[in-house]
Amino acid sequence: MLLNGIITGLIMGGILSLPVLGVAVIYGITGIPNFAIGVIGVFGGFITWYFLSYSIGLAIVIGVVVCFIVGYIVQRILLTPISEKGGDATLFFIITVSVGFVFEGFIRAIFPRPNISLELPRLGTINLATFTVEGFKIIALVFALGTLVIIRLLEEHTEIGKSWQATSQNLKLSKLVGIKTTQVFSIASGIGCALACVGAIFWGSLYNLQLSSGWDLGFMGFIVAVVGGIGNIWGGMISALIMGMVMSFSGYLLGGEWQSVILYFIVILVLIIAPKGILGSERSL
Amino acid sequence: MEKKFEEPILKVSGLTVCYGRMTALKCIDFYANDNEIVGIVGPNGAGKTTLLEAIAGSVHILEGKIYFFDHQIERWPVLKRRQSGLMLIPQEGNIFPMMSVKKNLEVSVILSERAEREELVDYVYELFPILGERRRQIANTLSGGQQKMLAVGIGIASNAQVMLIDEPSIGLAPKLVTRLFATLQKIRDDTKKTIVLSEQNIKILNIADRLFGLEAGEIRFDEKKENLNRDVVKDLYLGSIS
Repeated sequence: MLLNGIITGLIMGGILSLPVLGVAVIYGITGIPNFAIGVIGVFGGFITWYFLSYSIGLAIVIGVVVCFIVGYIVQRILLTPISEKGGDATLFFIITVSVGFVFEGFIRAIFPRPNISLELPRLGTINLATFTVEGFKIIALVFALGTLVIIRLLEEHTEIGKSWQATSQNLKLSKLVGIKTTQVFSIASGIGCALACVGAIFWGSLYNLQLSSGWDLGFMGFIVAVVGGIGNIWGGMISALIMGMVMSFSGYLLGGEWQSVILYFIVILVLIIAPKGILGSERSL
Repeated sequence: MEKKFEEPILKVSGLTVCYGRMTALKCIDFYANDNEIVGIVGPNGAGKTTLLEAIAGSVHILEGKIYFFDHQIERWPVLKRRQSGLMLIPQEGNIFPMMSVKKNLEVSVILSERAEREELVDYVYELFPILGERRRQIANTLSGGQQKMLAVGIGIASNAQVMLIDEPSIGLAPKLVTRLFATLQKIRDDTKKTIVLSEQNIKILNIADRLFGLEAGEIRFDEKKENLNRDVVKDLYLGSIS
């Protein structure tokens, strides 16, 4: 049962970590808390579902690309201009939640069903001692960890990666040395929303996607990111895996109805002890 | 940027900047020629930082014109001014704290041609050998003096034709100030660039080709250094005498 709990926890954490990474990338770089990210991701999940009958690969690509573009545009025409004028956290909360409701409305208006399940191939099973895991779930976890590694590699070795690292550390100086910070913000937001979309696709194939899923994923992503140290992608990843474990074990030991009680109790406890999160944040909300 | 201008390469006229109801700069005229070091001296609150930031584009100006080469730039955003060859090194927040020295310099050469980038970074290491030795160190673990060198290094790496430096001597030991100023002179002579720096340190007299005296948001004098009476400058405009 222990192994069972760990594996389920890792997979849950892995899926959860995608919107968390999305939040971490967006907030870490732009300093703007975007609460619409989950809904935009789920919007992408619905698009993927719509095209699923044509080709699975194509459907996923369309969903992810649409989310990237949405994230890019929302940042470019809405959030960056407001932040240049000195918008505060409350304003961004209201604006991004409104954007979320707009996309929830789009989902309701465009798609025939408000509750879907994405049927992705399970890719066989892998036996681990007494426990059997679907290959598909392993892919979800590997994808999450791979994304983290790729983000780190980009930061070390590419111009865009160095630019977004610089932007997150010192926005004013980044502008002064000539980094196109507006573009960096837009790309970060696009990547964040694309990651949320991948998270939503995995989520939708393990459970299901409905109108409220976007808020679940988005807020959960935020909370987990804050616990890890918001903007800190390693912290976000570790926090996601721990939270996945907490959910898995509390589910096993006490039953599903106690899951959220335990989870959020731990969240509150961690934040009382370490207000800046497990690994600390360079920004403050 | 090779062609020589008879006119000043940077010219500010009638510049007025307000913060709310407070006037920080009143109708300032200022200029800098090619290949010279220009000092802006004055007490705290005189408006030195505001003048540099207005030129670089990080504060909103109420009135006035700014010319750079043959462009009128006062409505340009920071990035466009930077691309045209202006660079401000602020007094605070002038490094990327959590990145290595090397990466700090690598992001600063971003506007230069790929072929030139390595050369620029190497030139910074030549000017400040300690930065070369510590290239892998995270910037905020450097000493105060080294961080200041890195800040100037970022400006050099940016390869701007006009470098605006806001009080580089502040917080530095006297010996380091002398060395930093000597380095600035070397940069002017090596690269034929223009350096505009605001200062409260009397040693500015040793390196500046011209000085502007600023007090309460207004220009009090504009002189070549040989025309200036050292004591007048010292008494009126320079706080720390080291």
